[in-house]
Amino acid sequence: MHNPLRPALPLRLVDAPPAPSSTTPQAIIRVEDLSIVFDVPRGQVIAVDRVSLAVMPGEFVSLVGPSGCGKSTLLNAMAGLEQPFEGLVTVAGESMLGPRPDVGMVFQQPHLFPWKSVRRNIAHGPRALGKSKAEALRIADDLIEMIGLTKFANAYPHTLSGGMQQRVAIARALANQPRVLLMDEPFGALDAQTRAVMQDNLLELRGRINATIVFVTHDIDEAILLSDRVLIMSAGPGRILRDLSVGLPRPRSSAILTDPAYLALKRDCLDLIRSEGRKAFEQMETVA
Amino acid sequence: MSVGRRSRANAAGRLSVLVGVLSVPTFVGVWELIARSRIVNAVLFPPPSTVAVAVLDWIHSGQFFGDLSASLFRVTAGFLIGATGGIVLGVLTGEFRLVSSLLSPLFHILRPIPPIAFVPIVILWFGLSEAGKLFLVVWGVFFTVWLATHIGVQKVDRGLIRAALMLGTPRRQMLSEIVLLGALPYIVVGLRTAVSISFYTLVAAELAGAFAGIVYRIEIAQQNMQTGQVMGGLAALGLLSFVADRSFAAIAERAVWWR
Repeated sequence: MHNPLRPALPLRLVDAPPAPSSTTPQAIIRVEDLSIVFDVPRGQVIAVDRVSLAVMPGEFVSLVGPSGCGKSTLLNAMAGLEQPFEGLVTVAGESMLGPRPDVGMVFQQPHLFPWKSVRRNIAHGPRALGKSKAEALRIADDLIEMIGLTKFANAYPHTLSGGMQQRVAIARALANQPRVLLMDEPFGALDAQTRAVMQDNLLELRGRINATIVFVTHDIDEAILLSDRVLIMSAGPGRILRDLSVGLPRPRSSAILTDPAYLALKRDCLDLIRSEGRKAFEQMETVA
Repeated sequence: MSVGRRSRANAAGRLSVLVGVLSVPTFVGVWELIARSRIVNAVLFPPPSTVAVAVLDWIHSGQFFGDLSASLFRVTAGFLIGATGGIVLGVLTGEFRLVSSLLSPLFHILRPIPPIAFVPIVILWFGLSEAGKLFLVVWGVFFTVWLATHIGVQKVDRGLIRAALMLGTPRRQMLSEIVLLGALPYIVVGLRTAVSISFYTLVAAELAGAFAGIVYRIEIAQQNMQTGQVMGGLAALGLLSFVADRSFAAIAERAVWWR
């Protein structure tokens, strides 16, 4: 059967720009002593507990951890969708007081505007920022070509498959040319085959855009395959347990899945996550 | 065997189509027979032929179109005003908690009072003027549309709002596009319910005293013992209401074009 997700993107594979090793390494994202607390019916829950991290321009960083460890909350704080209880989140030197067009986000669900065609969904951001209709549509058409959906430019979201919808969501987030692209388990709702294709697409896409990417996932393979760095988070309250550099060469492909260096890294990650997951489970049991 | 079963199924299908086509003519025929057989009082229960003659007289006298346009104007104007108000306030109360705290308790107290119960006070306030009739229709339509919009706005997919926020959507566009279109499927259901409600309230408004209108004509005919005319008026009202509902359903289908 013809897979509509297959049309290989006409892109070159390009290595990610190395993290700047100049004399003044300036992080684009800074999280300092961040705590986020949620009110619940019986008191408060600490979702993120005194987390600090820095992401360099052009870096691809994954946040990995068990369900409910606060990784999505941490990402939402970088997006300006959650406000710190304590601490500070800055992007490009400015505090994230609310959503900002230079920080784009792709959610687990595509959340496309159902009343707009693919083209107009992607053109929404540039239009919202005051670009002319013609300019916005030109940007949209370029991105549609890049994600290989030219045939579907005028289709409505409900007529597309889940993978295609998520590609449109990525293109829509890129239309504002964000400096930072945040991705919250973007492939988590897709089947395994589609997810593999989407991961390849994202690796290719990365060569074309300059955005720094922070990627939340609970899939270790996905995190290692895509990232320069993997941050392992502990069970709630969320803390960063370990900061692992992925020294595997780029361009990468699924061939690294058998690489001994990869396997060692994966074993480390899994051990940490297993023990954390168990802790989280026990905590839940004692609460219940 | 399967062929036999299919042809039997086909025969049953044809039979029900035939019965469906004959349903209304048979009913009218039986009515005509009963009314003419003197089993019932033909003055109170006139045959369809008498009703048809009364309707033709109504049209020939020139009163019909005056009555029709008077009723149509009340329903249409009342619906448009009530629906617009309902949508605007529904978006405001659905979106802004402060506005909701201010208005929702009041609306929830007023909403369950049947609009017909307002006829006496409307007569005190507006006399027999058009304003009073519009008021009743607007009142009936407004609360239905307001509630549907209010609920629709609160049920707008939060993910869409967040996505729109991340793309830098300005506040005004957020309300006029994302929230309004996100709530549209609910609003359309409210509007369709309001179409029938506008006809109910029209009846109350015209019974309360008018100088033209389909229900007004029914009432005058009743006072003159013109039972045929009464039934003709009921048929006209039923037809009008039916056409309004069906046209609205057709419009609604296209209004939520992305489904």
